[in-house]
Amino acid sequence: MEENELLKVRDLTISFPTVSGMHTVLDHISFDVKKGEIVGIVGESGSGKSMTSLAVMDLLPDHAVVDPGSSISLQGRQMLGMSEEELRQIKGNEISMVFQEPMTSLNPVMKIGRQVGEPLRLHTDLSEEEINARVIDELGQVGLVGAEKLVEQYPHEFSGGMRQRVMIAMAIINNPSLIIADEPTTALDVTVQAQILNLFKKIHEEKGSSILFISHDLNVIREVCQRVIVMYKGHIVEEGSVDQVMNHPRHEYTKTLVASMPDNAADTASDKVLVHVDHLNVYYKLRGGILSGKTGRSQILKDVSFDIFDGEIFGVVGESGCGKSTLAKALAGLNKEYDGTIQTNGLRPQMVFQDPFSSLNPARKIGWIMEEPLKLRGIRDKAQRKSMVNDCLQQIGLDPSFADRYANELSGGQRQRISIGTAILRGEKFIIADEAVSALDVTVQSQILKLLLRLQKEWGLTIMFISHDLNVVRHMCRRVIVMYKGQIVETADVEELYDHPRHPYTRMLFDSVLSDRKRHNVKFDSMNRLLFTAGASTGGCPFYNRCFYRSDECRKKEPELLDTGKKGHKTRCCRLAK
Amino acid sequence: MRKYNYSLIAGLIITAFMLAVTITAHFWTPYSVTAMSSMSKNLPPSAAHLMGTDNFGRDVLSRVMSGCGTTFFIGMCTVVIGAVFGTIVGAVTGYFGGILDAVIMRINDVLLSFPSVLLALIFISFLGTGKYKIIIALGVMFIPSFARIVRSEVIRIKSQDYVKSARVMGAGSLRIIFVHIIPNIRVSMLTAAAVGFNNAVLAEASMSYLGLGVVPPEPSLGLMLSEAQQYIFVAPWYALFPGIVIALIILGFGLISEGLRGLAQK
Repeated sequence: MEENELLKVRDLTISFPTVSGMHTVLDHISFDVKKGEIVGIVGESGSGKSMTSLAVMDLLPDHAVVDPGSSISLQGRQMLGMSEEELRQIKGNEISMVFQEPMTSLNPVMKIGRQVGEPLRLHTDLSEEEINARVIDELGQVGLVGAEKLVEQYPHEFSGGMRQRVMIAMAIINNPSLIIADEPTTALDVTVQAQILNLFKKIHEEKGSSILFISHDLNVIREVCQRVIVMYKGHIVEEGSVDQVMNHPRHEYTKTLVASMPDNAADTASDKVLVHVDHLNVYYKLRGGILSGKTGRSQILKDVSFDIFDGEIFGVVGESGCGKSTLAKALAGLNKEYDGTIQTNGLRPQMVFQDPFSSLNPARKIGWIMEEPLKLRGIRDKAQRKSMVNDCLQQIGLDPSFADRYANELSGGQRQRISIGTAILRGEKFIIADEAVSALDVTVQSQILKLLLRLQKEWGLTIMFISHDLNVVRHMCRRVIVMYKGQIVETADVEELYDHPRHPYTRMLFDSVLSDRKRHNVKFDSMNRLLFTAGASTGGCPFYNRCFYRSDECRKKEPELLDTGKKGHKTRCCRLAK
Repeated sequence: MRKYNYSLIAGLIITAFMLAVTITAHFWTPYSVTAMSSMSKNLPPSAAHLMGTDNFGRDVLSRVMSGCGTTFFIGMCTVVIGAVFGTIVGAVTGYFGGILDAVIMRINDVLLSFPSVLLALIFISFLGTGKYKIIIALGVMFIPSFARIVRSEVIRIKSQDYVKSARVMGAGSLRIIFVHIIPNIRVSMLTAAAVGFNNAVLAEASMSYLGLGVVPPEPSLGLMLSEAQQYIFVAPWYALFPGIVIALIILGFGLISEGLRGLAQK
């Protein structure tokens, strides 16, 4: 055994029994994790990356069949074939795991303090007081302020980012030699994602733990890892230092993965205003029972005004909860609770939704789904409808035979193509794409974006492109609005916005974008601190609690959306008003 | 490695057999259903009378075969009335919500809180007895349970993106309800129909047993049970065979609904 060797996986082969024989999900996987190393595993869904982590953690589904030639050893001890008791000594003690979904990975009925202390209770003889002290210490370590109070709280009182910090505290409390992190930041907002990644690096530096970091996102891997393993369809296709793999990929698949960003959008916009939104306030009805007599509404969007020009791709960015989707629904006519003006020039905006698995009717064939907008347009001739659907299927890069299939026979990318095709077939030239590629794998994402760009040009479409992904927006859009808590905080042409962001929130968003971070070389500790002092609204600037540049004036006065002096660049910040 | 849906298969076989018997009875029964004979009262099962004879000397097998038809007919009609109206009520209230929904669902709750036989009795006291009247009475009783199932499914589905997508396209509410949403709840509706059919068969049997359903001499399984009661020690077969057949019909549909539930979970 080598001096610094920690985890050694050799010829790991796992398969599942299916109707048509054994289906191999991992095929002779071999790799090492050395002491104090952060190794990334990158690949798309179905590549076997999660299966690898589950195998190491002994969490494989019951019907998984591990090939007898496989070997997983931790510090020279063979783990496959160990007794339950021996494995129990390792799990949570020497190896710990952080899961993807912070909303479900904590027990909702157990207090935070008890959950975090559980590994100590299982693996050490510490007294309750000692455990409690350690828990408070670790919660502080992962950046949670006021740990003495937090231990008495329940998970539902925490945000996603805070829960993920709790999960990490639980994972490191026993000083494990190996932490497995399976997509730990995928479910989080960009700004929170950056903090969590930073936290992983800090833990690695301070505790010297090895980390096996699994992600579908190359930027995340590039940020955290030293070495990277690229997986594709159950095989390791490439392995090497992060620099080497990212900058000089050798395998074809890695090349497509690294280069999966489409070319910039061509500027096809005209000066004609197609959509005009003026002083728009949108509300949600608050439900009370009929007997309680309570009615009311909460305001989601405040005083939103913008124009979209004919033929442009218009970007809307912001974190979850900022009102992006509410804006989309109001424009599409799905939420009628608004005041202010929405003019769409008689167009009926069509939508492409985020989740490809709920956007197509499972009870109907694709052909029927795509014919529906044609029927609603009043095209009575069945043969004509069929041929239009056939043409459209080819346009969106699918075979006409797809018309006879059901949605559950299609992949996420294919479904998203159908959604786009259906939107186009309605014959309206304005499409709202609400996080239309967020649920897709990176390489599929780039195909769908390219398709959107091509169709936009060919059909002269106008697209409102809603996304939390700043890289994608930069490539797709001509003009962008940035939203925060239901307001537009900044708007500008894409180049201007990305080169000279004026609003502190926009800057914070850009600083969180991983590929840009190295360029700007941002310090994150100050950001961490500020985020966790977030509190109730002060009645002044909505961003006050998270702002680096706040002053007393911001606390009292709500800023207006003002021109910065550059063409079309407006921002909502008190500093500018001075 | 494929798992067969044994409940569904067994249920379908039993039900198909009962249906075959019913259809046969329409064209041929061993003896005339109403032919009485004072020579052959209360005879035990034999080669001539496989299920014996009753107190009027009528062949029990013939009457059971024919009674199946009455039972199936009443069950089917009841379920159809309940399903059609229940689906309309449930779909509309579930989709639109609001005050209409609140009011109709409370009425629903009131109806559901009475035992269905009791309510049917009240109906019968207004309408009078007879095959078609019992169908109407039972059918109305079955509307609330269907409405409730359909309503909860519609509420679940209406928040799906494909329904929003249809709205964005400009499809009208009725089109969305009946063309986009209803096809997605076929399985739950079939399950509900199978359960409903069972309840209808039992309800018809109990109504006829109480003398408020099918009017003699028309054969009905429930009516036969009621008549057989007096002769239970003299001619136990008279009660036994109609009872077994009712149990078989119910078992068949019970297995089908069980199997359908299994399908839905896949």
